[in-house]
Amino acid sequence: MLPLAITAYSVVCATGYGQKALLDALRERRGPLRPNDFTAQPLPTWIGRVPDLESATRDLPAPLTPWDCRNNRVAWAGLNADDFMSAAAGAVERYGARRVALVMGTSTAAIDATEAFYRHVDDPAGVPPQLLQPELHTPHSIGDFVQRALGLAGPCFTIATACSSSAKVFCQAERLMRLGLCDAVVVGGVDSLCNSVLYGFGSLQLLSPETCRPFAVDRRGLNIGEAAAFVLLERGDRSDLTLLGYGETSDAHHMSAPHPEGLGARLAVEQALARAGREPREIQYINLHGTATPKNDAVEAQVVANLFPATTRASSTKGWTGHTLGAAGSLEAVITFLALRTGLVPGTLNTTQLDAECGPQIQLDNTDGDIRFALSNSFGFGGSNCVLLFGRQTA
Amino acid sequence: MSAALEVAVAGFALWNPPGRARPQPCILPPNERRRAPDTVAVALEVAQAACANAGRDPARLPMVFASTYGDLAITDYMCSTLAKAPTTLSPTRFHNSVHNAAAGYWSIATGCHEPYCALSAGRYTFANGLFAAALQVCADQTDVLYVAYDIDAHGPQTQITRSHGILGVALVLTRDGSGTSLELAAVAERSADTAFAASANAMADSLPLIAALERGSGDVLRLPLGPGSSLQVQLRHR
Amino acid sequence: MPATQTTAETELAELIIAAVNLEDVRPADIEPEAPLFGAGLGLDSIDALEIALEVSRRYGLQLRSDDADNRRIFASLRSLAAYIQQHSQQPSPQPG
Repeated sequence: MLPLAITAYSVVCATGYGQKALLDALRERRGPLRPNDFTAQPLPTWIGRVPDLESATRDLPAPLTPWDCRNNRVAWAGLNADDFMSAAAGAVERYGARRVALVMGTSTAAIDATEAFYRHVDDPAGVPPQLLQPELHTPHSIGDFVQRALGLAGPCFTIATACSSSAKVFCQAERLMRLGLCDAVVVGGVDSLCNSVLYGFGSLQLLSPETCRPFAVDRRGLNIGEAAAFVLLERGDRSDLTLLGYGETSDAHHMSAPHPEGLGARLAVEQALARAGREPREIQYINLHGTATPKNDAVEAQVVANLFPATTRASSTKGWTGHTLGAAGSLEAVITFLALRTGLVPGTLNTTQLDAECGPQIQLDNTDGDIRFALSNSFGFGGSNCVLLFGRQTA
Repeated sequence: MSAALEVAVAGFALWNPPGRARPQPCILPPNERRRAPDTVAVALEVAQAACANAGRDPARLPMVFASTYGDLAITDYMCSTLAKAPTTLSPTRFHNSVHNAAAGYWSIATGCHEPYCALSAGRYTFANGLFAAALQVCADQTDVLYVAYDIDAHGPQTQITRSHGILGVALVLTRDGSGTSLELAAVAERSADTAFAASANAMADSLPLIAALERGSGDVLRLPLGPGSSLQVQLRHR
Repeated sequence: MPATQTTAETELAELIIAAVNLEDVRPADIEPEAPLFGAGLGLDSIDALEIALEVSRRYGLQLRSDDADNRRIFASLRSLAAYIQQHSQQPSPQPG
């Protein structure tokens, strides 16, 4: 394991543009989720929608407009938040474009463009030319877009393992860096609202008709959200924030239900701790996967209660962002960075009464603390699990 | 040229018959077999064959699955249905539409708790998947199963994607041993657009490597890795 | 002595076979009182959703996955056919 320095990060999601908007929403307990106003046909659920995306991303430069679509707009907004573009440009200048790798995570990619293409296919006026760009119609559309936007020329691919996608990108980054194949890695996750996901999860009856309530005794399912989050990783001495460990496993149980005893989740937690050389009692905060589905939360609560002491605080922040699927890993890593850096430990928004299966770790209210070591959990559709362990050095 | 990764090929398999014959992998339990889409069928067929060829227990192998497009038939179904009658979307087909469907089905069928990666690199998918699998072999000091596959595009899709037939390859990569070794290195050069010929499968970049493995000779291949780079693959047969 | 299917049950058996792609099963093979899920036909939760979707399209009634009565409703071909007959908004064939 090579510890990696977290030298820059950015975020765009339902709370708005940038870390400050997210931190303010967390602190003030303001939930930006809204009743579904995205789908053309009624679908009763709540969503996490990036506000005013079209107008906020008007500045998409001409060389990138051939690949204009919702997912790439969310990505563009994320790249331009929190000075991430200039941080990435700095890495290119320090190391050369070929020595900066790019590993993106997504589940939607630009399926919004493929959906739009199909809607126009019988149009007498023909399909708008930009929907014919071949790069838009693969899961790698996001890797391709970000590579163009940042001018990177190192190793570049896109991971699409549902909800664990943009957590697993950190693991790939560590391997690339440890083997000396690059000197910096841009990782991140981007997912956007689209009909595939909304009607898809609707067909699985996993959507809540109300705002989601993770770990609540009366939870009723997911709220889908969209987000972009980017993180720049370099060698270990350049930042107080560090990636210290990770665990990756498979449940090998069912495509859309977790292992009933949380076997894969538990193994992933144990691997992350082992790689970092840390004990469970040293973890002060866990950002849980906490999707508010009956099954995920029951299993995850059990895993946490069995492995961690009461002093470890844990919460799901999906009440603020919705479940951003392929972007969740990186988005929630950024939320974990904010907890490490500011000492604000977010609670679990929207939930008023915790399910009896929850141990003492899971918090409803925000608290403050001196967080040195934190975990972020991502447990995906198809049984793909990833747990990341981050640390903050003092002095 | 950047640092090299060196791995050995313990076993491999190919499914690419003429026409578009779909395999019936016996490793899938009946429940999963009846709802597995073509990409899952071909991926599992070659994965099982490669593991048998290599004499490896599938349950112990971390995996890298790679596909340019994922299941194009499901994408066609989803987008057509969403355009006309979105509330009639099939839950089975949606749950098969995730890019990690093949990886998920494989891990369930084999009871494998090792991690899997499911990736795409668009036009450059085969080489990047091979690179990612080799990376994991060298970084984690473990054998890795690499599976790459694509199927055919139909109907309106043919305007925006290009792929013909059903193609799956699988390789079991290992740190050392007898058999053919691969030395991989990224080379800065504009890569030739060979495999995306009009009648090819999107994963056709895999075919020269499989042919070289079957010959058992020392070859040097250049696989498209990125807009300005190739993956040089030096084969050495021991 | 195995129970015989009513017309409504045969129609439902055809719907189930088509919905979940049971290639080797004929409608008459589904024992009306045998379990549909777990043992018997061995269907699972995804199959239940697929069947629910088809039932909704054909008979206009919604089956929710979180309905507390699902175990009883989905217990067998007979129980599901009876539930549909009681709750559907569209005419179904008369038994016998």
